[in-house]
Amino acid sequence: MAKSKRQLAMVMDLNKCIGCQTCTIACKRLWTRDEGMEYMWWNTVNTMPGRGTPRDWEEMGGGFHQGQPRPGRLPTRREFGEAWDFNHEEVFFGGQGTQAHLKVAGEEPDWGPNWDEDQGAGEYPNAYYFYLPRICNHCTHPACLEACPRQAIVKREEDGIVLIDEDRCRGYRFCVEACPYKKIYFNHVKKVSQKCIFCFPRIEQGVANACARMCPGRVRFVGYRDDPNGPIAKLVDQWKVALPLHPEYGTEPNVFYVPPLAPPRFDEEGNLDESKPRIPDAYLISLFGPEVLRVLATLKTEMAKTRAGGKSELMDILIAYRWKDMFGGFDRDPATIEWTKA
Amino acid sequence: MQARHVAGADLEALLDPAGRPWRGVRSERLALVGTPAGMQPSAAIRVAWTGKRIGAVDRVAVSSLHNGEVLAFRLEWQDATEDRALIDTNSFPDAAAVALPAAPEAPLVTMGAPGAAVNAWYWRADEDGRGRHVVAEGLGTSRTLDLERVRGRGVWKEGRWRVVVARPLRVATSEPVVQLEPGKTTRFAVAVWDGRSGERAGIKAFSAGWRELRLEPVARAGR
Repeated sequence: MAKSKRQLAMVMDLNKCIGCQTCTIACKRLWTRDEGMEYMWWNTVNTMPGRGTPRDWEEMGGGFHQGQPRPGRLPTRREFGEAWDFNHEEVFFGGQGTQAHLKVAGEEPDWGPNWDEDQGAGEYPNAYYFYLPRICNHCTHPACLEACPRQAIVKREEDGIVLIDEDRCRGYRFCVEACPYKKIYFNHVKKVSQKCIFCFPRIEQGVANACARMCPGRVRFVGYRDDPNGPIAKLVDQWKVALPLHPEYGTEPNVFYVPPLAPPRFDEEGNLDESKPRIPDAYLISLFGPEVLRVLATLKTEMAKTRAGGKSELMDILIAYRWKDMFGGFDRDPATIEWTKA
Repeated sequence: MQARHVAGADLEALLDPAGRPWRGVRSERLALVGTPAGMQPSAAIRVAWTGKRIGAVDRVAVSSLHNGEVLAFRLEWQDATEDRALIDTNSFPDAAAVALPAAPEAPLVTMGAPGAAVNAWYWRADEDGRGRHVVAEGLGTSRTLDLERVRGRGVWKEGRWRVVVARPLRVATSEPVVQLEPGKTTRFAVAVWDGRSGERAGIKAFSAGWRELRLEPVARAGR
């Protein structure tokens, strides 16, 4: 299979994500407002440990095992979470004052795209959770692209962005089965599959992705993987502190995560207990592979340096003192562009 | 098989599977077989379908009529469930198609070959009324040329689909499609997809070889 000449990538620092969903809404307002897209969230943020979006997506198969495609299954709308209708009219204009309350119209839902928010795991006072934002991983070895019988999915040679050609797509959903991250949605109105486009129309104008630019926590770094001065190469290849999610799925994602540290545990007397981590190592290994322990050690070492009054290039990058440095040159202000719809 | 000429039958009458022109028309039974999993165009599909049954529908009754301008096929098959709407992200519609060679040597099993196209007249239960006019020049290459020239209408009743697909005998296009003429012979094959079984794309039941079809000549108006 032909490889892309260059690859755009994203690094998300999970230590900074506050689960505010600003990325989710930035994406929603920009890309998934048309008919048939109501239930789509190309960007999701879920609480981990948790069942995720779609519910239990990690159990749905797809990707590769020992180089062979691993069968996957199609999520249902219920598992993604329906786009609920609310009684806004009644609450805001019904003249019932404080007697009318906001509620979902129709059948009481039992799942939604962020249903298990902040549940996490563990017991007080050592409970733990963190937020995991997810978009399409624009994989180097995209299972979706390889599964499509119609070559309706392309990986752009110039930047590695993976796109579905809606004119070629016939809505067969082999890509949805094949994607182990379950980040492809079926549009039942247009009868095609749709997913995150890495904001390519913005990227082509030098503007970083909406999810990255809108993030109040400065979580997301963007840029070319091979730009030695950009944040991606520094975090992924030089400092080696950013890892793909579920590398065992075999698709070689181009979204990388700085894994989460957590506050120390308390022992039975209420004293700090640093003998074992709050987030179990085994859990983080199950998400990011065994490399994660080395990464956490590097982060701790560099944090200790700065606490002792020293300098750490890594901490400077992660803190992102200069916002624009996060975008690998894609730092143009979108307000300076006259956008037209083709 | 012969496509009988029914003078004066209009398109709407032909498209009604229970319509008057079809009464008493002899149908021919075709055995269908599942497409081989090993021939599916992507490894993911081959892996997913190896060892699973492909081709839920194993026979179809076919009859054919033309009115001098339009050729219509009526396909009938048993299907316990009517799968019309895309009710969920994991549901698929029932569908059927008639394939005709746009070139004499067009291979059916690979859905044509470069330069030897197969022309398909495709109907899908969620798009009832219209059809898709498709050409393919090899597995995974099918293209929808237009949504106007092929018409299709299906009625599901008591566990049985009756579907008509029709197209004008001749269409003005430079695309590699079949051009037909009363009195001449062509060939055809049939495919049926059972939505409930997850059948779509190359996962289908088909009549494994081309069948002859002679279009009955239009009798000279003897006045």
